[in-house]
Amino acid sequence: MADLAQEERTFGEKLQSLPRQVLYLILIVVISASVIASKFAGPALVLPNKPGNNAIEFYATVMNVPEGSTVAIQSDWTNSTRGESAGQLESLLRILMRRNVKFMVYSLADPQAPQVARDTIARITLERKLKGEREYKRWDDWISLGFFPNGEGTAKSIQSDIRKAFKGKRDVSPEGPRDVYQSPVLKNIQTLDDLGLYINITASKTIDVLIERLKFKPARFGDFEVKNKLGSMCTGVMGPETVNYYSAGLLFGLVVGLNGVVEMETLMENGVNWPEGKKTVEYAKDKQLVVPGWTGKQNYARGTSYYFALHTGMALLILAVLAGNIGMWLARSGKGKNA
Amino acid sequence: MNFLIAQAPATPPLNFWNGDNATAGLWIKIIIGLVLGFALMIGLLFAPTRMRRPIVVTFTFLAGLFWMVQWLWPRAGEGVTEPTNATEGVALWLKDALPVVTDFANILTAFLLGLGIYSLVSIHGKRLIKKQTDWVFSGILLLSIVIMMIFGYADWLTRLGEGAAKVELVPGFWNRGRDLLFDGMLQQMDAAMFSLIAFFILSAAYRAFRIRSIESTILLSTALIVMISIMGAIVFMLDSAAAPVSNNLKLSEIAGWITGSLQTPAIRAINFGVGVGALAMGIRLWLSLDRGGVSG
Amino acid sequence: MQWADTGWINILFVLVLITAMLTMILTNIKRSKASREGLYIRRIAGLNAIDEAIGRSTEMGKPVLMVPGIGGLNAISVQALNIFAYVTRTAARFANPIRLCCADAAVYTVAQEIISDVYNKEGLADRYDQDSVRFVSDRQFAFAAGVSGIILREQTAATFFLGEFFAESLIFAETANSIGAIQVASSTETTQTPFFIAACDYVLIGDEFYAASAYLSREPVLVGSLVGQDIGKILIAGYVLLGVAFNSAQQFERTTDPDTQTSRPLKSDERLMYMIFNPDPNRGKPKEEEEK
Repeated sequence: MADLAQEERTFGEKLQSLPRQVLYLILIVVISASVIASKFAGPALVLPNKPGNNAIEFYATVMNVPEGSTVAIQSDWTNSTRGESAGQLESLLRILMRRNVKFMVYSLADPQAPQVARDTIARITLERKLKGEREYKRWDDWISLGFFPNGEGTAKSIQSDIRKAFKGKRDVSPEGPRDVYQSPVLKNIQTLDDLGLYINITASKTIDVLIERLKFKPARFGDFEVKNKLGSMCTGVMGPETVNYYSAGLLFGLVVGLNGVVEMETLMENGVNWPEGKKTVEYAKDKQLVVPGWTGKQNYARGTSYYFALHTGMALLILAVLAGNIGMWLARSGKGKNA
Repeated sequence: MNFLIAQAPATPPLNFWNGDNATAGLWIKIIIGLVLGFALMIGLLFAPTRMRRPIVVTFTFLAGLFWMVQWLWPRAGEGVTEPTNATEGVALWLKDALPVVTDFANILTAFLLGLGIYSLVSIHGKRLIKKQTDWVFSGILLLSIVIMMIFGYADWLTRLGEGAAKVELVPGFWNRGRDLLFDGMLQQMDAAMFSLIAFFILSAAYRAFRIRSIESTILLSTALIVMISIMGAIVFMLDSAAAPVSNNLKLSEIAGWITGSLQTPAIRAINFGVGVGALAMGIRLWLSLDRGGVSG
Repeated sequence: MQWADTGWINILFVLVLITAMLTMILTNIKRSKASREGLYIRRIAGLNAIDEAIGRSTEMGKPVLMVPGIGGLNAISVQALNIFAYVTRTAARFANPIRLCCADAAVYTVAQEIISDVYNKEGLADRYDQDSVRFVSDRQFAFAAGVSGIILREQTAATFFLGEFFAESLIFAETANSIGAIQVASSTETTQTPFFIAACDYVLIGDEFYAASAYLSREPVLVGSLVGQDIGKILIAGYVLLGVAFNSAQQFERTTDPDTQTSRPLKSDERLMYMIFNPDPNRGKPKEEEEK
């Protein structure tokens, strides 16, 4: 009976009930081919991208934070979301290192997150070393504070007294392990507002913990006004919820998912309203704002290399949805004829 | 206990809940704590059945009351260590009590984790001993637990005190072993599980996005616009084509409008509902108004 | 407008709202207890499906799977367990096996108590299998793998995913869908609700999850609380409208710029609502004075 039913199936019926294994196989082939093609094509396959206001504001703020100040990076992602989060951290690190901004990195979400972040820092440090740029040194330029299991409590103590929040933490210095507060990175930080910026790179809801507990005073970096020093780089899935906070003015900027990484890389290459950029990236809200880019440097990286796969993946998704609907329509119209 | 506080060194800050190491005062506190704990346990064991509910209700109310008061009571000013009035006294007491109450919860959770592990070992141990279906997997699970515990504990020992920073520079056998198990295996398996979502999204979208009604047509149309808006190259082309006609027809503008004016307010509205629901659930739990919920 | 920068008005604002909501909830609980017919609550399709799902698994002789999310012991997981108590009671009457998988040790312990209590109250203590409530793992994807394994090995006929779910939601839902299980799901995380909608048969959206126990039991306390919640939501909507009204009215207001001494429209951060929720004592002062 089952075989008979199989034989009697029309094209429309087959199209609307493709076996899931077939779909999975097509996805594997399409994504693998796209990633390999991007790898071999290199800069020839840089697809255009139009950065949104949220990414432009994020980039502009990071580009204006004063040289020598300290940025707190709360890195709450692990290898599971490296496709999105690794690219976000890499682009942020490239900017901070090029601008000689110090940073400290820690996690409130996952015990493995600090190691993953340190591996990423090591990759970018090596990249700079191979290009003959200044080596970014642990202890002098950046420190790792590790993992804090009680996220809510730690965020609360960062707000109430940042000098006590990381008490007892030690990091590697040239002279051996030392108290992190002796490091040039934390030496001058007395209150939360002494931080240049506070950036959360997350694959979960950790931004909620920070929004509820951290309160930054509005600040000025020269002529550049910052209403809030908290910024977020989150995965695509967390984007819709985090946009709430961005649109309510609780974040200075927001970078979402892989598309956000490409936006950052595009901005690093072309700047904002910057005449020297290869392409003009306009910021409609403030046409007077000019933020330079880094044309000629390693800007296009992980985001750009996955971007083609994002396109083909989305195209496949759309095609699958269309195929299902066309199949359903054909099957229905076929039934109508038979009746 | 004021004399203890007066003689204590500045760090760690001493209060009602702790004491200086190896002092008589601390021992007295520990003994009082133990006696009270045992008395409470024996009292609960021998309490008549009809008394159990009032006891549970009282404990629940007191525990909830602490957090309510902690949330509502005004904070003492920055740097205030000695109270100048009753409000500040309560504020400082609450501040001191907070880590203690949190520790209570942490210790309870640690005991409960033991029960969780017991559940795992008991289910899989039985399956292994009786050689039931898939007993090999149970064996692998138990072996993994033991190996992970050994390497995890040994690694933790080497990281004590200044060890943590030393391990960063020169990792030893136990550290490398733990790294291999944790970073090399567990993390990678986590990533593999996560990546399965890509396949599931495709099959779920293929099956679910069908034009069956007006609502599903609207859903599908908006989903298509948002999906295309993620493809930068397509957006670039469509925006360039729409620019001479009207800026409002640009795909990026339409997608931005859907996100900003439809999606974000909808999410906020749902979150408001969820928040109010949690508030109602919280107040029912705190005041023990629920009588076992739907179990009757 | 400096008076708006005190910092206590926003606290008062929120306190009044929360107190009003709590009063509404408690008043309606009292009203519901006093009412003979009980208060009216609307039909929720997803909850009607619970009995249908259990019935189907009884016909097939396959277990019912329940997962209370991966969050810790909080209002959400307790609510999920409340609903599972109802599911278990129905399943127990038909001698249907159940599987309740937990990712948190505290939730596991409470779940064990609740489920064994259900069997005892039904007088079916002999049907209770201790291994039916399980702690799987507290690592997200290990838990996802473990539960997916149970779904596939035991071919569960009905699955209930109710509680706090994150990225694992689609893994569960699609795995269960692949074996044709009937699924009822709800996540308090808005980001996961679309995944459940795509893959499950019935989905409770947002606070329908909290309405479930009231709908299933019709217990006056729960029904009253639900009505109180709805009035609370109307109050919030009122607050939002108030904000919209103030902001809209102030769009036409003009002010003298402290730096240039010229007249200009108010900036978004100079409006009353913004100032109330973002108190800043330096606001409105010229830049030089502020920097001092």
